[in-house]
Amino acid sequence: MTSADRRHQIGGADRPRHIGARVRRVEDRRLLSGAARYLDDIRQPGMLHLGFVRAQAAHARITDIDTSALADLGAEIRVFTGQDTSGLTIKAPAGHDPKSAALPDGHQGYWRMQDSEQPLLADGVVRFVGEPIAAVLAEDAYVAEDAAERIAVAYEALPVVATMAQAQDPSIPPIFAGWTSNVYIERQMAGGDLAAARAAAAHVIRRTYYNQRQAGVPMEGRGVVAAYDPADRVLTVWSSTQIPHLVRTYLAEELGFPESRLRVVAPEVGGGFGVKGQVFVEEVLVAWLALKTGRPVKWVEDRREHLVASIHARDHLHTLTAYVAADGRLLGLEADITVDVGAYSTFPFTAGGDPGMAAKVLPGPYDIPAYAATFRALATNKCPLGTYRGVARPSAVFSQERLMDDIAAEIGMDPIELRLRNVVRTFPYKNALGFSYDEGSYAQALERVRDLVAEDRAAARASRASATTRIGVGVACFIEQSSHGTPDFTRRRVPIETGYIAARVTMEPDGEVTVDIGLQNHGQGHETVMAQVAADALGVAPENVHVRQGDTLTTPYSVGTWGSRGGPLGGGAVHEAALKIAAKLKAIAAHLLQTDASRIALHGGRAVVIGNEGSYVEIRRLARIALRNVDQMPAGMEPGLEAQCSLDGPADGTYSNAVHAAVVEIDIATGKLRLRRFVVVEDCGTILNPLIVDGQVRGGVVQGIGSALLEHFIYDEDGQPLTTSFADYLMPLAPEIPNIEVHHIETPTPRTPLGAKGLGEGGAIGPPAAIANAVADALGVPVSATPLNANTLWTLAADIRAAAETDRDG
Amino acid sequence: MTIDITLTVNGTARTVRVEPRRLLADVLRHDFALSGVHVGCAHGACGCCTVHVDGTPRLACLTFAVQCDGKAIHTVESLGGVDATHPLQQAFSIEHGLQCGYCTPGFLMTLAPFVDAMVAERRVPEDAEIREAMSGNICRCTGYHGIVAAVRRAVTEQIETGSAQP
Repeated sequence: MTSADRRHQIGGADRPRHIGARVRRVEDRRLLSGAARYLDDIRQPGMLHLGFVRAQAAHARITDIDTSALADLGAEIRVFTGQDTSGLTIKAPAGHDPKSAALPDGHQGYWRMQDSEQPLLADGVVRFVGEPIAAVLAEDAYVAEDAAERIAVAYEALPVVATMAQAQDPSIPPIFAGWTSNVYIERQMAGGDLAAARAAAAHVIRRTYYNQRQAGVPMEGRGVVAAYDPADRVLTVWSSTQIPHLVRTYLAEELGFPESRLRVVAPEVGGGFGVKGQVFVEEVLVAWLALKTGRPVKWVEDRREHLVASIHARDHLHTLTAYVAADGRLLGLEADITVDVGAYSTFPFTAGGDPGMAAKVLPGPYDIPAYAATFRALATNKCPLGTYRGVARPSAVFSQERLMDDIAAEIGMDPIELRLRNVVRTFPYKNALGFSYDEGSYAQALERVRDLVAEDRAAARASRASATTRIGVGVACFIEQSSHGTPDFTRRRVPIETGYIAARVTMEPDGEVTVDIGLQNHGQGHETVMAQVAADALGVAPENVHVRQGDTLTTPYSVGTWGSRGGPLGGGAVHEAALKIAAKLKAIAAHLLQTDASRIALHGGRAVVIGNEGSYVEIRRLARIALRNVDQMPAGMEPGLEAQCSLDGPADGTYSNAVHAAVVEIDIATGKLRLRRFVVVEDCGTILNPLIVDGQVRGGVVQGIGSALLEHFIYDEDGQPLTTSFADYLMPLAPEIPNIEVHHIETPTPRTPLGAKGLGEGGAIGPPAAIANAVADALGVPVSATPLNANTLWTLAADIRAAAETDRDG
Repeated sequence: MTIDITLTVNGTARTVRVEPRRLLADVLRHDFALSGVHVGCAHGACGCCTVHVDGTPRLACLTFAVQCDGKAIHTVESLGGVDATHPLQQAFSIEHGLQCGYCTPGFLMTLAPFVDAMVAERRVPEDAEIREAMSGNICRCTGYHGIVAAVRRAVTEQIETGSAQP
C-alpha cells in the first residue's frame, strides 16, 4: 500500500488534510517568547532548597560525616544522611526465576541477575564519584550550597573497579556484598545452525570494536520540586522527567503512599534524549523530604552533578565473528558483547538493558541464517549507565557496519555491493532470533545513497594519491525496532513491563477538542502532531485541538516518552480515540439529516452528507447537542463526547530503516577532520509532519556526530571523572557541523493505526558507523573505536605520513 | 552583606537589594520573574543565559548582578512580546530552529544583533558565517540546521521588505 493510499484510508471517506502536512509547531510561541515554564520556574510558598554532599571517592567506606562547620553559617540548616533514609532505594532487578515456569520464548530470557540497590543517600559505602551522601536543606539555594560545602566526609578507601578488565578480574573483590563477581548478568541468545555456517564459510572474519562512554546531556539538567498538601493529603511532585506515570508508581511503591493521592507533573522539559527516562534517587528523596519536613522542597541539578551523577551511556565492547560465503553472503554471525554499566542497575530498563538490546538487534537489516550472542553487564565504580537515544543500537550498528566494511575489504568487494547482496528483500521477514520484520526499503535506500554519493566516492578515490588531504566516504545501513508490544518486555522480565501509550479525546460543548495523552514532550512537537491527528479524525482544524501532557492528574496512565513510540503509538492512540467520537458525531448528524451514518463525512468543521456538500450540520452544533441539548440526540444514545484508547504495540514491533552516508576530509599532517557532507535516506513509514521528522533526524544525526568524534566521559585509574564541565566534555558546535541532507522513502506499516514507524532515535544510530567507515576509507586503515578525535586520527594517519617521508627521502 | 542596585530591565527601572555574589541570571529569573533567562551550564560554556547588557550580548551566568548597577538589561521577553513577533523568532518557528526550547532564548539574544548587522549591511551571510556567529551557543536538539536557515530567512526577508531598523 502506498502512503497516499494509507492516508486516504485514515478516517474512511474523510480525506486527511493535516496528517503529512508541514504544520508549524504550536509549541513555538511560548518557547520563543520566554513564557514557557521549566522545572526551575516552579516555586512554592515556604519552599526549602536542597543541596547535596556527593562522593569524592569512587569506592570507599564513609568513616565520618562532620557537620560542625555548619554552626557558624548563621542559617538554619537541616542535614539528612543515609541513616535517615535507610531502606529507601532504587531497585531495578531483572531476570526470570529459574525455578518458575519455562520462558515463553527461549532466545530472549534472562535468568536472574545479581541485584544492586542504590540507596537514596549512601548507606555507609560510596560506589561512584558523585553518589549522594548527605542532603542539606536551607531557605535559600545559595546557602544550601554553602552548607553542603562545609560538610566534611572522611573515607576509608576500598579497591576501585575502574575498567572492564578489572571488573572481570577475579582477584578484585565485587563492589556489592554477597556478589560472587562484578558481573550483573551474563546470558546467551541464539537461533539457526551456526555449526553449519562455520562449516560452509569461505571466509571467517573476526574483529573487536569499542564505543566510548558518553551521554545525552540535555541543555536543561534534572530537577525536582515536591509539595505536600495536608488539606487534600495530596503529594505533588514536579520533575523534569520523560516518564511521569512511572515516577508516580515508583514513588507510591517506595514511599508506601497511595498512588491516587500522588500527582507527578513534568513541566516544560528542556531535552531528555533518554537521560530523563529513569527514576532517580533524587526524585524519591525530594518527595520523601517534602513529606518528612512538611515543607515544599526544591532541587535543581547543576551541570557538574549532571555530568558525573545522572546517567551515562554506551561504553560497549563487541567482538564479532562473521562466517561468509565466497560470494559475500553472510552465513552466520557470532557476537560477544560486554558493557560497562557502572555502579548500579537503573530503573526501569536495568543493567541488562544495554547489552541485551545490542545482542537482540545485531542481525540488523541482513538475512543471516544463523546467529549466536553472549552478552554481559559489568559493575564498575562509575556513574550508572542508562538509556540514551538509540539505546545500544548506535554501538550495535557501529560494530555491524564496521564489520561489513572490514568483510568487504577482506574479500575485495565494494562495501555497498556487499550490503546489497545481504539485505533482507522479502517481507515480512523472520530473523534468526524469531523476530518478524514488517516491510521496509533496505535495498532501495542503499541504492539511493549509492547514487547520492557517487561523485564523493570518485573524489575519495582521487585523493588516494595525496600526502596532505584524504577524502573518505562511509555508509551505515540499519533498522530500528520500535513500538514493540508487551510480550517483548515480559520476555526480558524487566521492571518496565509494558510500553503502551494512552490518549483521551474530549470534545467540549463549543466543539473545541481536548487531547490528554500519556506522553511527555521534550522537543518532539507532540502538541502539534497529536492535534493534526485528532483534527483529521474529527473534521476540525488543528487550531481547535488543545493537547495536554506530562501531568498525571489529567492524562491517562502510560509509560511516557521513550523508544520512538510517540508517533506510532501515541498518534495511533489519539487516532483510535478520536474515531470513537467521530462515529458518535456522525450518528447524531445522520439522525438530524435523516440519513445513514455511513453517508456522513467530517471535514472543514462540518458533518456533510457525502456527495451533497450542501447538506450538512456544523460540528459545533453536534457537540452542543451531545453535551447540552441532549433531547435532540438519537433515542437511547448516551450523552457526552469523550473516548479513550490505550494502544499497545504489535508483539514484534515495527522496523524503521535508514542508510546514512558520511563524507570526510582528513588533514594528514594534523588529524583534523572536516565533514564535507552527511546524507540520510530514511523510512519511518507514514510521515505525520515532515517539518518535525526532518528536525528529529537532523538533531539525532548531530548527536551521533558527537558520539563519533567528540563526546567522551573519561575516568582515571582511581575512578575519578576527568570530564566534569563543558570545557572537557565536548559536544558538537555549529561551525563543525554541515547541513544534514535528509531524503525520505515512505513504506507505511500495517502494524500501527496510521502506518507510522518510530523515528525519534534513528538519527543518532548511524553516524558513528558511517563516519568510522569514512575514516577507514580515507586513511586505508581499520578503525575499531570511537571517539575519532584529532589525536586518534593523527595516529591513524601515521602510515600515510611515513610513506610521504619515504617518498620525499627517496 | 547586601547592596542596592538599580537595573533597567526590558525598559522598566527597578531597585533591588542583592548579595554581591548573586548572579545576574538568578536575579533576573527570581527577582524579576523572567522565565526566559535559562541557565544551562553556569560556567559560561553553553550560551543559554545570554542577555543584552547595554545592548551587547552577555552571559548572565558569568555576570554578577552588582556589575550591572545602572545598566539597561534586555531579555528574550523584550524581543517580540508574548506572541514572539520578532522576525527572527518567526523565522525560528518556520524553519524549525527549536525543539525543546531551552537553549532558544540564548540563541535569539546572541543572533538578533547579528541579524540586525547583516540587514543594515544589506548582506545575506554565508552559512559558515552564520555558524560562526552562533559558535558560543550549544543546541542539543536541532543539529543547528534549522537555526542557520532561520537566520538566513530573517535577514533575507527584512532586506526584501526593507523593514530593517539600522
